[in-house]
Amino acid sequence: MMANNTARGILKDNLWTNNAIFVQILGICSTLAVTNKLENTLIMAIGVILVMGFTNLTVSIIKSLIPRKVRMIVQTLIISFYVIIVDIILKAYLPEISRALGPYVGLIITNCIIMGRAEAFAQSNKPVISFWDGITSGAGYMYVLLIIAFVRELLGFGTIFGMNVLPESFIKWTIMVMPPSAFFMLAILIWVFKGIMEKKEAK
Amino acid sequence: MNKQGKLYTIIFTFIVSFVFVFVLAFANDVTKERVEINEKLFEVRAFLNAMDIVYGTDEEALDIFEGLTEEKIKETTLYSTTVENEKIYAYRFSGNALWGTVNGVLAVNEDVTRVIGLDIISHNETPGLGGRIEEKWFRDQFRNEKISENGISINIGGDGDYNHENSEFDSITGATNTSQSMKTIINNSIKKLKDLLGSDE
Amino acid sequence: MAPDISPFILFFASIFTSNILLANFLGMCSFISVSKDYNSSNGLGMAVTFVLTITTAINWLVYNYILVPFEIEYLRYIVFIIVIAATVQVLEMIIERVSMNLYMALGIFLPLITVNCAILGVALFMQLRDYNFIQSIIFGFGSGLGWWLAIMALAAIRKKTDRAPVPAGLKGPGITLITIGFMAIAFMGFSGMLAVQ
Repeated sequence: MMANNTARGILKDNLWTNNAIFVQILGICSTLAVTNKLENTLIMAIGVILVMGFTNLTVSIIKSLIPRKVRMIVQTLIISFYVIIVDIILKAYLPEISRALGPYVGLIITNCIIMGRAEAFAQSNKPVISFWDGITSGAGYMYVLLIIAFVRELLGFGTIFGMNVLPESFIKWTIMVMPPSAFFMLAILIWVFKGIMEKKEAK
Repeated sequence: MNKQGKLYTIIFTFIVSFVFVFVLAFANDVTKERVEINEKLFEVRAFLNAMDIVYGTDEEALDIFEGLTEEKIKETTLYSTTVENEKIYAYRFSGNALWGTVNGVLAVNEDVTRVIGLDIISHNETPGLGGRIEEKWFRDQFRNEKISENGISINIGGDGDYNHENSEFDSITGATNTSQSMKTIINNSIKKLKDLLGSDE
Repeated sequence: MAPDISPFILFFASIFTSNILLANFLGMCSFISVSKDYNSSNGLGMAVTFVLTITTAINWLVYNYILVPFEIEYLRYIVFIIVIAATVQVLEMIIERVSMNLYMALGIFLPLITVNCAILGVALFMQLRDYNFIQSIIFGFGSGLGWWLAIMALAAIRKKTDRAPVPAGLKGPGITLITIGFMAIAFMGFSGMLAVQ
């Protein structure tokens, strides 16, 4: 599945060719819910990137020590550990955002991408490169969600990161604030990205 | 030691769990105080905002809050203060909205003829929809709002009703249920305050 | 303090107006992949409902009788997941022994469910909204039914869209997501049926 194992190769793979969201369609649960505001999406995505990076790093470091039978559980434990750390940091230093994200921070644990990367990559690669793989997968995940959030916040609230951008006379597309729009936006994005991918391949 | 054997597995899992829980307990302990202060600040800010009291830093907010008078009437705690010779009372309410409990503060003048302000402490409504009850545009509708004989009524639709004499407020588009619940909660709080402050209307 | 919601409204809301899938985005991964096949969808939906009801109840007990008294609420993420994983394991063993038919129908889906975000999500929502025991069971059961309903509907619709002339870029996940979007809007319409308190 990987183009090659160099740092650049992995970067390209995770950001584009094997993007978690529009190619693998994984891990969208926990973040689609907060994509109606850029601020929340950004913090959530940063949380995911950190958890992914450190989980991969940890799994890669202790992989030779983990007994086969409990592999899944230990991985889950590691993921939960980092998620709880993120949750504690948010509660203490960014309480408003912690409230806004609510239970969706905890749901990072069940985000299929993290478990997937730990299994597919960290289990068979060195620590530093695994960390990089985690960070880049998370980054690939982040920018797609930021695009969705950008459109949703702009059209639904008329703001970007909470700052009013559109004139008062702009009639807000309230549908953009509600759940269905996240599905539509994601579908459109997949359409656009797949189109670009196919064009590139045709060349 | 056989890495796939039962004994190793058990020992390994124990050690890993122990290390994790230890670090987490430490992190939790270190941040506990901050988290508690944060929680308190949510409440304090809600009271000050509802009573229309200006504050700067968090320390200032806490100080001002300490300076409020706590009055206990018929088993209910109210906070009061005097602004420009007018007494304001703030009541912490807890009511049901669509998804759970909404906690907030309603501040009124002495004879419960005007709402001074409203602020939300916590809620469980949908972000971007029912959750908009905590946004400034929604709460500003209640700033100095006149209270009619039947309390405050709701107008479905609209973008924010800033006429403070009509005893009305606009609902949140797409969150009619939550908005209706807020109306019920506010009116219940007004009734309670009238009862406590001995107004006979 | 538990909110004062009528059990009927809670039940109705968890299935329709606040469907955990269509309104709360939980359980998406298996939703999209399994809805390709109508029969598997049925089995998975049943399994999810089953597991949701039981684990929400157990998690409530664990949270309120173990985590809170010992002040270790911050460990709830780990504990809930472990409870879910353990419950699913036990359930699988029991079902296999008790009813071969039931095992054939939903047993094979059980391991898949442990990582289904919906299960953990419902437990977390239950804790956040401070439901009491009965409310938790209703919420778990209703959410499961809602998930089951959604995946059955999607599987049925996909039977048709699979044969329809969809533009290349939209085939597969694209059209599925658009379908889900429309379903989400449709389910929002149910909120008009709820009486306001």
